[in-house]
Amino acid sequence: MKDYLHLTMEELHTAYVEREVTPLEVVKLCLEACKKDTNNIFEYLCEKEAISEAEGLIEPEEDNVFWGVPYCLKDNFSTKGIPTTGSSNILADYVPVFDAEVYHRLKEKHAILIGKTTLDELAMGGTGTSGHLGKTFNPYDPSHEHMIGGSSCGSCAAVAAGLVPFAIGSDTGDSVRKPASYGGLVGFKPTWSRISRYGLFPFAPSLDHVAYFTRSVKDAASLTTLLSGRDEKDATSSEQPVKKYNTLLGGSIKGLKIAVIDEILKSITDHDVLAAFDKTCEILRSKGAIVSRVHMDAELLRAIYPTYIIISCAEATSNNANLDGLKFGPRESGNTYEDIVTNTRTKGFSTLIKRRFVIGGYSLLKENQQDLFIRAQRCRHLIVDAFNKLFDSYDLVYLPASPSCAPRFDEKNDNLSDLYLLSDNYLAFANFGGYPSLTLPIGFKGNLPFGGNFTGRIFEEETVLNVSHVLMDEMPYYNLYYKEEVK
Amino acid sequence: MKPVNKDMLKDVAHSLMFDMSEEEYALLEEEFQTILKQMSLIHEIKGVENVEPMTFPFVVYSSYLRKDVPSDTLDKDEALGNAKDVVENQIRIPRVIK
Amino acid sequence: MAFEAIIGLEIHIELKTKTKMFSSAPVRYGDEPNTDVVAYDFAFPGVMPTVNEGAVICALRLCNALHMDIDRELHFDRKNYFYSDLPKGYQITQRFRPIGRNGYLTITLDDGTEKKIELEELHLEEDTCKQLHSYDCTLIDYNRAGTPLIEIVSKPDLRSANEAMKYIEEIRSIVSYLDVSDGRMEEGSLRCDVDISIREVGSSEYGTKVEIKNLNSIANVEKVLNYEFARQVQCLETGEAILQETRRFDESLKQTVGMRSKEDSVDYKYYPEPNIIPIRLSDTFVDRAIASSNELASSKLKRYTEQGLNHYDASILIADKDTSIYFDQIVENGVSYKLAANWVIGDIQSVLNRDNISILEFPVSPKQIAEIIARIEKNEINNKQAREIFAKLYEDRSLSIEDLSKAFNQGMINDVSDLRGLVNEVLDENPQSVTDYLAGRDKALGYLMGQLMKKTQGKINPKDANEILLEELLRR
Repeated sequence: MKDYLHLTMEELHTAYVEREVTPLEVVKLCLEACKKDTNNIFEYLCEKEAISEAEGLIEPEEDNVFWGVPYCLKDNFSTKGIPTTGSSNILADYVPVFDAEVYHRLKEKHAILIGKTTLDELAMGGTGTSGHLGKTFNPYDPSHEHMIGGSSCGSCAAVAAGLVPFAIGSDTGDSVRKPASYGGLVGFKPTWSRISRYGLFPFAPSLDHVAYFTRSVKDAASLTTLLSGRDEKDATSSEQPVKKYNTLLGGSIKGLKIAVIDEILKSITDHDVLAAFDKTCEILRSKGAIVSRVHMDAELLRAIYPTYIIISCAEATSNNANLDGLKFGPRESGNTYEDIVTNTRTKGFSTLIKRRFVIGGYSLLKENQQDLFIRAQRCRHLIVDAFNKLFDSYDLVYLPASPSCAPRFDEKNDNLSDLYLLSDNYLAFANFGGYPSLTLPIGFKGNLPFGGNFTGRIFEEETVLNVSHVLMDEMPYYNLYYKEEVK
Repeated sequence: MKPVNKDMLKDVAHSLMFDMSEEEYALLEEEFQTILKQMSLIHEIKGVENVEPMTFPFVVYSSYLRKDVPSDTLDKDEALGNAKDVVENQIRIPRVIK
Repeated sequence: MAFEAIIGLEIHIELKTKTKMFSSAPVRYGDEPNTDVVAYDFAFPGVMPTVNEGAVICALRLCNALHMDIDRELHFDRKNYFYSDLPKGYQITQRFRPIGRNGYLTITLDDGTEKKIELEELHLEEDTCKQLHSYDCTLIDYNRAGTPLIEIVSKPDLRSANEAMKYIEEIRSIVSYLDVSDGRMEEGSLRCDVDISIREVGSSEYGTKVEIKNLNSIANVEKVLNYEFARQVQCLETGEAILQETRRFDESLKQTVGMRSKEDSVDYKYYPEPNIIPIRLSDTFVDRAIASSNELASSKLKRYTEQGLNHYDASILIADKDTSIYFDQIVENGVSYKLAANWVIGDIQSVLNRDNISILEFPVSPKQIAEIIARIEKNEINNKQAREIFAKLYEDRSLSIEDLSKAFNQGMINDVSDLRGLVNEVLDENPQSVTDYLAGRDKALGYLMGQLMKKTQGKINPKDANEILLEELLRR
């Protein structure tokens, strides 16, 4: 039998329409593979729900590419009746009473939810190690020494391991686009406000984006078409018209102006990454794009990470103040209201989260706000102004998505180095300005993949998707997933 | 801005209704030194005081206001199904001294 | 040494909208606990706020009535603190850009002079849960959570407990006339926090400010402020320091007691709400909201007196919004303000008092009252008959005034020569009274009129009869 488990969504759709295979058969294959997961991907496997949904899908819908396609959702999307923990003990037994808009739209299209995937606790982390289930492993490293990255670690690993053709994540700093680099996947976040965040557990709403992992740019474009657009339940969601992005791919990139930021590229020392990146630049040029090295104020670029930490932690403190054990989640005992809540939160949050909350709370204190939170917001303004200025002259920014392939779990960072502040954490600029931003695989270091990243002007999703599609076509990385024989 | 010390961090943690171990506070204090060093990067940036704080990624306005029409409500089971201590359809906590 | 109080008020008003401030859950009172809720009200992870148009309209109308500058761009902020009645751990409010600023209202002091009280700001926010405290536990009901609130902050322009009461009464009247809120302190739809300090009369400096929370009736406001004023005066006179603190009124002790000092005050870590982008209100929207708002009591008072009512009657009519609406619905039909006021303040009010019902429960419609008045004005019926019709209608509002009037008109002596004959009969029968009247004893006229009524069984028009009686008397 053909390997239906490892098709892209588009390919699987063709197989359904040709009636080669049914959703039930695929879902069973998929569940079987998921149960053998060794990478610590799942919070909850929707076995019964998925089978029952698949059983009801008989007549393929030709114009609906999502019909019968199995997928995973990061466990910070609210799913009615299906446990949703945010990978935090504070929500260990929480069963939502409403559906996230993203889940709702996929359900309406009869995509089949296979599982809720693990994450860094409440999406506040970048390593895929801080969730309540522990480390999530990079499928490309069976010895389990390398991370897949986070916070959308489970969703990334599920697609990279070939369990599902796509998975939904969230991206506040780089939580989809960085792991996508480590997992050899397409990871796309459209413009802020493009996709409703209703039902996404908030980390930092002014930076939070719905984003997704796929194995082809076309699949990412199809998801963008479906998920984008106004939702009255999310007051920030945009009324900008939505295009059929999946039909806008493959056009010429001749004359497209692409900026490579010298200061960031220079901070990268990994020769494999640099070589692969150069090669992609050559491909882009050969297709008629104009790729130029540009300069930006390095001080400003170094400020991206601290700005991100202050703003995201500050917003996070209040977004998680609802987690008190009274209305939902495990509740610790205590003689007073204060005791109950303090005991519940002390026990429910891991140490990393608590430290981040204190950073955020400290930045918001009356006597510190001007120096920390408000200054970070001003700095965000300067950074966004600088990138907007760049976008006046260039259509896209293109850079390696990470300074190297996936790091080892025990690797230590110098948090004040240029490598850390510039190349390892620059992707958050796209969250600051809400720009559409896409990571795609551009090479391997040994067995481990790494990616490049395109970021474009707000609401110009099609430009980002198209250039990625064109580049992907010229590389052997379409529908990339971990195959054992690769070893 | 006041200098960071352990007592201050404890106060902040308590105001956010949780506690940490002494070791965790020590680690946090260390972490704070890095953050403040990183923050000093921002302080050095020219012109940072001359721009407005940014709350949203880009300048955007809405004109949408929700119509004042009630929607369906949650069933009692839905509303209270996740709560651990429910009495007479209400969430119970120890008496809050007023 | 004479001292004066410097008082500023923060008033919270619960709005009468159909849904909550940021969620589509219904706003209803007295429902079973935790039934008027959607996911937002329980702060389930992932819920998001949406701004209620109805609440914004209320705010615009109130801003207009209070002569405020309106910010046509809505911005919201988070006020962060933990409390058992606060589901999200923060309240969405308008800290940095309130919808209204710099307004005023006018109160009338006991001596009749008017005083302008300046207002700092007006903003929209959401209410907390209702807590039911029993001896060993507290039960939380989320029905109230998220109910729209408007907070009005005055400048410290009030100088006495009496002025504070008048200020609250005026706010209550305005919100009630605008139909923005019930404005009932006892039911918590109007709540009041007070800042009070004292200083020597004549001084321009301010003393240490004490905040008093949650005053729950107008009577209480006076009691508490008078108590606190006296307490602060005593402090100054005995050299005791007045602490900057929050106090509350203890019902059993009948005094204010300290809750927390300024040093313990909570840092609310305000910052802009990232889930609501700025909302621009179009000029059309704002203008329409204001243009369609109800007439205020002060404006009605002016109109009533211009239409010939005395100040006393007009004041009675506007004291209750529903009464004034009923009155306006009568005069809408073109009948005289004076007669309508007599009916509302007199006959109708007596029935309401007698049967202990409100004007809203009163079964006879304003239109029916207007019809009765119109018939009196046209001399089709007299006052006595009108009252009888009114009484019958009160028993059965489906009766036709037309038919009832006709019944009276049967046998009505409308012919002037018939009437004149009857008058002369009465005069002939009572020569002594005629002599008395002609001798200047006016009382005799009343007696003769009574006799005429008796003779005709009241089926005459008193006004016409009176004229003829006078004419015939003068002929003798």
